[in-house]
Amino acid sequence: MAIPVLVADDSKLSRRSVIKSLPPELEYDITEATNGQEAIDALSGNTYSLLLLDLTMPEKDGVDVLRYLDERGDMPNVIVISADFQPEKHRIVLSLGAKRFIRKPLDKEELAMTLFELGYL
Amino acid sequence: MVDLSLDEDQRDALQELLNISMGQAANSLAQLIETKIDISIPKITSVTPTQLYSLLFETNNSFYTRQSFLGDVHGEVMSVLSRSGLNEVAELMEYDEPLSKEDIQEIILELCNILAGACLAGLSEQLELTTNLNMPTLFSPDKGNFDELQWQHSLVMEVQFVVAISSFSMRVVFCLDDASLSRIKATLDDLLA
Repeated sequence: MAIPVLVADDSKLSRRSVIKSLPPELEYDITEATNGQEAIDALSGNTYSLLLLDLTMPEKDGVDVLRYLDERGDMPNVIVISADFQPEKHRIVLSLGAKRFIRKPLDKEELAMTLFELGYL
Repeated sequence: MVDLSLDEDQRDALQELLNISMGQAANSLAQLIETKIDISIPKITSVTPTQLYSLLFETNNSFYTRQSFLGDVHGEVMSVLSRSGLNEVAELMEYDEPLSKEDIQEIILELCNILAGACLAGLSEQLELTTNLNMPTLFSPDKGNFDELQWQHSLVMEVQFVVAISSFSMRVVFCLDDASLSRIKATLDDLLA
């Protein structure tokens, strides 16, 4: 069965790079959000198994999305994929329930390894 | 005359590459001073030298540096560093107060190397271009000089770093000449293909 995935990133290039990097062994049902607010809207009406989340976004940012999910209590597997990988950011996103933090530019192998660790592969 | 304006996809791609480079730059500084750095979403605009002058130098109370870069693309990086908060940053960089004039100069040039240098390096690496950045020099902006700049209608890529616990902020602006801009457009198209 296809895995419902939400890809939230304000950059089209980045969303495309994330989608292209998903391991081809699995099937995905992909939804795209172009800012944090769109991600929250999508998350409020649908159930996703996996959220691939950028941090630096207009409207609401990735941390706001995590706060929303944290308050709601029902959390998909969140993998943060961000260029802002300072130790402080890393700590915040993990404390808000993100499962992993991957640096941009995205490395395909690292994403596959992370999905393996989370039990998808 | 070649059209040098960026289409939406090119702008998006350049913005994202710049964002990634800024993240790398901010992380190097954050590690050095063990403090969080906030980064803005990069702004990309096309301006004339006169517009560039007002964009950069409307603010008082700042230090200004410029450094040229050569290689596959040519241009200039200008940085605007706030005077306010510089002492706190200096302290985090383990300088002793009171700061001498030489200390201040050294700190400014160091910050330019770390932030502007890393931004350009990150951008070049992702675009697979070779660039060499010259040493930064402090300068006082003079409107007259700006009209002589060779980057007519330069593409300005503007990023801002804010050091969390102080009031220090720094803006970095990249100016490119026309040939470099066309080269970057072509590289972005390859990336988007």
